[in-house]
Amino acid sequence: MSEPIPSPEPAASQPDSTRTGPGRLLVAVYGLFALSASARAGVQIATKFSHAPVAYLLSAFAGAVYILATVTLANGSPAARRIAVLSCSVEFAGVLAVGTWSVADPATFPDATVWSGYGSGYGFVPLVLPVFGLLWLRHCARRAAAQRTSMQPDEARMR
Amino acid sequence: MNQDSYPPALICPSCPPAAGPAPVTTKGSNISFVSAAVPTTIIVAGLALAGYALLMTALNRRMGLVLLAGLGVLEILLLVLVGMIVARLIGGGRPAGLPTLIGYLIATPLVPVIAGFWGALERSRWGPAVIAVAGLVAAVLIVRLHEIWPVISV
Repeated sequence: MSEPIPSPEPAASQPDSTRTGPGRLLVAVYGLFALSASARAGVQIATKFSHAPVAYLLSAFAGAVYILATVTLANGSPAARRIAVLSCSVEFAGVLAVGTWSVADPATFPDATVWSGYGSGYGFVPLVLPVFGLLWLRHCARRAAAQRTSMQPDEARMR
Repeated sequence: MNQDSYPPALICPSCPPAAGPAPVTTKGSNISFVSAAVPTTIIVAGLALAGYALLMTALNRRMGLVLLAGLGVLEILLLVLVGMIVARLIGGGRPAGLPTLIGYLIATPLVPVIAGFWGALERSRWGPAVIAVAGLVAAVLIVRLHEIWPVISV
């Protein structure tokens, strides 16, 4: 993740690389969770915030993280990829932390969040999604790095 | 398929309570029958579409007309269900979580449309994988709708 800042990626190396192939599926699932988590949190905060404030705020935070991951994965530029790595990492840490918290202290969560019980209410998809996201981003970073190194001799020859 | 177990007031909230035994062939009981059949059909269709799409992904196939046609059928079924639920809301029925239900009514018909466009942009096996997600999501949304408003029987 230590790309030189001033050199923009060549146009030939597909700025949309993170949203094609398996990334197509990842963006779809991330978009689904972005919509469902943030919409659910919005309704809950608007209608019955005092019932379970911690759970609803954590749901809203999860929704924001999912939105950020969806947008950056769909964008795929080098800067967006770095933000995507960050948001997927935060997401993974969030699932583990909130999952453990909800198991250890159920009284704080009278109503479920996306991440309580490690995402058990959503078929544990929230638990595996950031893992696949980070693996995919690592694959894309390596592919981009390989393209850059193979590009340099060509550019040298052209000059 | 427990449409017979609802009391007449739930089958048709706007109808006056029946004096004698519930009539069998009124409009109300008809709607009740459909409202059980359509959600069940959507669940079956969504799961079948997801299974077929996953098979296409496993066989390394791209998006094809069969998948798009399946999405179209799913979309029509979802629109029919939304129409039936809206009719019931207009008829005076009110679930506990009305804002959530309205959100579902807006979001549910968008699922096959967005999945169709997003999957059709992909020229690899991962296009059908997006359709598989849409099929599974449609089935899950019906179960959630039933939880939000048990009148929507499955």
